[in-house]
Amino acid sequence: MDNEKLINEVMGGGLRALNKLAGSPIVERFGLQDRARQLVYEGAKRAAETAKRLAPKAPRGETSRRSQKFDLRLTEEQQLMRDTLRRFADEVMQPAARESDDRLGPPEGLLEAFSDLGAISMAVPEVLGGAAERVSAVSQMLIAEDLARGDMGLAYAALSPLSFVNALVHWGDERQQTALLRSFVEEDSIRASVAVVEPHPFFDPAAPRTTAKKKGSELVLTGEKSMVALAHHAKWFLVAAEVPKLGPRFILIERETEGVEVSEETAMGLGSAGLGRLRLNKVRVSIDSLLGGKAALEPDALSAYDDAIDRGRIAWGAMALGTSQALLDYVIPYCNDRVAFGEPISHRQAVAFMIANIAIELESMRMLVYRAAGRIDAGLSCAREAYLARTLCSDKAMEIGTNGVQLLGGAGFIKDHPVELWYRQLRSIGVMDGNLLL
Amino acid sequence: MKILVSIKRVADPDNASKLKVSSDGTAVTSEGLEWKMNPFDDWSLEAALRLTENAAEKNARVGEVVLVSIGPNDEHTQRIIREGLAKGAERGILVEADDANLDSNVVSQILKAVVDKENPDLVVMGKQAADGDSNVAGTKLAARLGWPIINYAMKISTNDDGKTLEVKRELDTGVATVKVTGPAVITTSDRILQPESVKNGITPADHQYAKLEVGGRYASLKGIMQAKKKPIDQMSLGDLGIEAKVALKYTKFELPPARSGDTTFVESVEDLVDKLHNTAKVI
Repeated sequence: MDNEKLINEVMGGGLRALNKLAGSPIVERFGLQDRARQLVYEGAKRAAETAKRLAPKAPRGETSRRSQKFDLRLTEEQQLMRDTLRRFADEVMQPAARESDDRLGPPEGLLEAFSDLGAISMAVPEVLGGAAERVSAVSQMLIAEDLARGDMGLAYAALSPLSFVNALVHWGDERQQTALLRSFVEEDSIRASVAVVEPHPFFDPAAPRTTAKKKGSELVLTGEKSMVALAHHAKWFLVAAEVPKLGPRFILIERETEGVEVSEETAMGLGSAGLGRLRLNKVRVSIDSLLGGKAALEPDALSAYDDAIDRGRIAWGAMALGTSQALLDYVIPYCNDRVAFGEPISHRQAVAFMIANIAIELESMRMLVYRAAGRIDAGLSCAREAYLARTLCSDKAMEIGTNGVQLLGGAGFIKDHPVELWYRQLRSIGVMDGNLLL
Repeated sequence: MKILVSIKRVADPDNASKLKVSSDGTAVTSEGLEWKMNPFDDWSLEAALRLTENAAEKNARVGEVVLVSIGPNDEHTQRIIREGLAKGAERGILVEADDANLDSNVVSQILKAVVDKENPDLVVMGKQAADGDSNVAGTKLAARLGWPIINYAMKISTNDDGKTLEVKRELDTGVATVKVTGPAVITTSDRILQPESVKNGITPADHQYAKLEVGGRYASLKGIMQAKKKPIDQMSLGDLGIEAKVALKYTKFELPPARSGDTTFVESVEDLVDKLHNTAKVI
């Protein structure tokens, strides 16, 4: 991106003063503290009508309190969330990880236990019956990161209904929100999943091969979606499909609709999410099933779809962070304790440097992912940042996975240790481009 | 029922290896430490919440829990109060004070002033703080108030909204059951986390609480959102009319000696007793 464009973007985002102060167009805040969001919210292009209705009021004086320091610390609320989620990941998810991977689905009660944490209420604004004063992409990203620390497959299962809710909150029309969201919030559990990824080479989420052809007041969907979490469990699917002459859109489809077929799908990793393949064979739904209703037929509704792709990339990046962090936290004490040739193996540079590299790469991934999410909360475009995050995470997550196995030597290959599982999970980051969104 | 729960922010006990003693040995330095709610207080909060809710109705609140924390008015103290509010407590009170000017004596005076202000039916406290390990403040508070003190509670039950309580106390020699008429001060042991440890006469007697092993309930994400709207009153010692000075002085701190790491295997009980008595000299 050239400088001029960047400056315009930043100024348009209401950060002119800060930018001047920093003296460089490159220095931008990550927006982690989420303070200036309201000022710039109106300028944001996405989902104008819905956004306007949902936009919460900025507390008075909030923008002026924004620190001039480059400060990446979490807010009190985010820190408290993190405490809860880490405890949940350590106490509930990690112990269940191995068995869930073997039996290809989350254990009984785990999704309910996650529901009890109230993540859905947190994702839904107060005006729609939730508990969120404002919905934050950074908070959602932290949830993904911390859950994936427990287990990426189980995190995928837990986040997939949440992604469905997020999409409804961001882009659903009033009727869809009233019909679905309120019941989800009341029960604090939903059986829903998002289906974007397709089983063919060079899959591009911006150009799905699944089609939704307009026939009168109906849409007819044909296509195939893969790696769908909780596929057998879900009652609702949010399907990405190409509407001819219009572009890709999301469509709400009920499991019971004629022509919807779900079959099992097994994969190298993420098995504990209960993966399935979704086949749509001339599935007819009302045109009102378009996410966002009639407004989604307007050409500029494409920006909502693009936004969803960015949000998906950040979510998977956050998943890579969580599992990579779990791996790093595991190999350090292991290599300090494991004695070979009369000393801990971490005394060997080949081992120590490998661990240091994991730490460096992980932190780089984290900065890119956090920055991309921070820009969403600041009302700025994050397409470039989300793509950079995705590219780095899919490369490095794989590398971190394989190095984790390497550091444990032969012990890394067997199932006594979780690293081989993490390796398989981390391989998924490169494959998964969609099916989740913040 | 209105319950006052005191909570203290302590250096994270899981990070105890990072504790350092100042060069003159008169203090434990707190730089670089992570802070969290004293685990004993977390357990007492769990007990108080169970006493004031109907767990069968999505933990619907039927009473009031007021948190009080004494310490510096900083992000750490505020955070543990907010955490307690997120778990379900109704209100928080932060009494601003320096750690250096606090000991069990001062703390019990502050708590008495807060009790006089708030008039709770019960005070439920952790039996001790994980940093000082004094195990005194609860008893001192009860003495100042002229209320009964029940230490080391492992089970609490009431059928009349806390007017009378039956409490099982965990002692080295066994379990003592006491009946008490409120108001009273209760300090709790970790067994209060057991699924059946608290019966309030409102939650159905057969309700099974989740098995908690490490700490009290999770602060739910929804609760964290809602906690932002709950009030935290801030007050100073002057507001409470307290001019107390610390009565306790620490003269020296020492870190425990590093362990040698030697492991000795023994063949028999006699051998073990012999080693403990003659070699390690611990019995």
